Amino acid sequence: MVVMRAIWFVSQIAFFGLIASRMVVVEDYFRYYVSGLSIMTLYSAAIFIGFDIYEEAEHGVFEYLLSLPVTRRQLVLGRSIGGGLRAFIYVGPLICVSLYVIGIVNPLNFLLALFSLFLFAFGVSGMSITLAVVIKSSDRFDILMGVLDALIVRLSTAMYPLSFVKEANSLYGWIASFNPVTFAADLFRWGVGIESNLSFENPLLPFLGIAMFFAFFTFVGVVLYDKTIEGGGWR
Amino acid sequence: MRHIIHLLENDFRNFFRYKWWLVGLISMNLTDLFIMAIVYNRMLNPEIIQQIKSYFDFFAPGLTVTGLFASAFMIGREINMERRQEFHRYMLSLPMTRLELAFGRVLSGGLRGMVYMSPLLATCFAFIGFPTLMQFFTILIVLFFLAMGISGLSIAIAVSTTSLDKFVTARGLVYYFLFFCSSVFYPLSLIEQLGQEGKFPMILVAFAKVNPLSNASDLIRSFLLGTPSFSFEMIVSVSTFSAVFTILAAFAYIKLMERT
Repeated sequence: MVVMRAIWFVSQIAFFGLIASRMVVVEDYFRYYVSGLSIMTLYSAAIFIGFDIYEEAEHGVFEYLLSLPVTRRQLVLGRSIGGGLRAFIYVGPLICVSLYVIGIVNPLNFLLALFSLFLFAFGVSGMSITLAVVIKSSDRFDILMGVLDALIVRLSTAMYPLSFVKEANSLYGWIASFNPVTFAADLFRWGVGIESNLSFENPLLPFLGIAMFFAFFTFVGVVLYDKTIEGGGWR
Repeated sequence: MRHIIHLLENDFRNFFRYKWWLVGLISMNLTDLFIMAIVYNRMLNPEIIQQIKSYFDFFAPGLTVTGLFASAFMIGREINMERRQEFHRYMLSLPMTRLELAFGRVLSGGLRGMVYMSPLLATCFAFIGFPTLMQFFTILIVLFFLAMGISGLSIAIAVSTTSLDKFVTARGLVYYFLFFCSSVFYPLSLIEQLGQEGKFPMILVAFAKVNPLSNASDLIRSFLLGTPSFSFEMIVSVSTFSAVFTILAAFAYIKLMERT
């Protein structure tokens, strides 16, 4: 998975980013695209925790986890944070590559953006766990995540500025305005100093959006985990 | 021929076992077209607008070829799995010649690609316009050749890699190299321009020109959009790719399957 992601990432930068930047009118599109690419990769890596849930259920690890002396809340929170951290470890070297390409202007902004990316990754992991527990079929989960991945990434500012999304279709623009991927991508851009074409004026707003996304999926994850898997409910 | 039909039946049954997965894949492709392409339409710089008019129209044929590529490549994954699970010994014991077995697998991979691609091609026609009957058959034949070549390429990779990880890595390399170093997503002129400016290796520019994905996409564009203009080189490039990889795959399948 790591090698596949790395190949995808490098080809996106070396081919698509470079060539597409000649095709569009967006100022400094290459750096804009590379920063969005880091968020797309982080999102895809954080989703993977859901697939692990199915593997654990198949091998009986679920029952073992339930027998551990931790509360359900700690279990879900631990899985979300673990999934997010793991995604960061996967994506860390790729983010370093993109930082090398983009450069950092203000280290303090960057640290704040990085913190919000941690929350984003934890939130995506929580979402993945929540959906995995609700769906209970690895095939359906696989399909849903694929479709969701396509929709959530394309209806965000990971690849293009919000003004163009709104111009293309007002519904797309409305969805993109409230999409956590938009918040994460634009906060990352703000953190590295790509300030043209940002979707916000105050970075606190997207930060709050990401914090709410994280809190919602952690809370919902705890509730669903509790209700769905207790007493062998998974099967 | 009867034996090949049995193989086709078997491989198609396997293909449709993943029908929901296929629905998911088609919806992802359509998302690319109806969201990404529509937004890029608004972002095009004026020089490119003069050249391709609309990114949606430009991208739809490219997407058809991308879908064909992904689905025709699926046969490789199955063959790699058969090899790892030693199911290939059963296949080799079937009452058919090795050539029938090998050709049947390449053919079924190609035909599966054509089946998957057809709704994407239909979408392309519905939104861009319909070709003449002659052009339609030319498109179908060229895409069939391309699907056979891709199926052959995936089988050649599948039988020469021993683990799923190696297969997936090799597939990733081939996928992204062929996709991104082609005119599927952007006009060839942009790649040439970068090459002339020394920002892109000339060898990659040359590869993008002969890339069968570029030629198949440009062939559809030439018939539906009138640009780039049609040339026989497009057909020759795809046919050569198809011939080389169909023969290579059949040869590799026979030799490497018998070896283990």
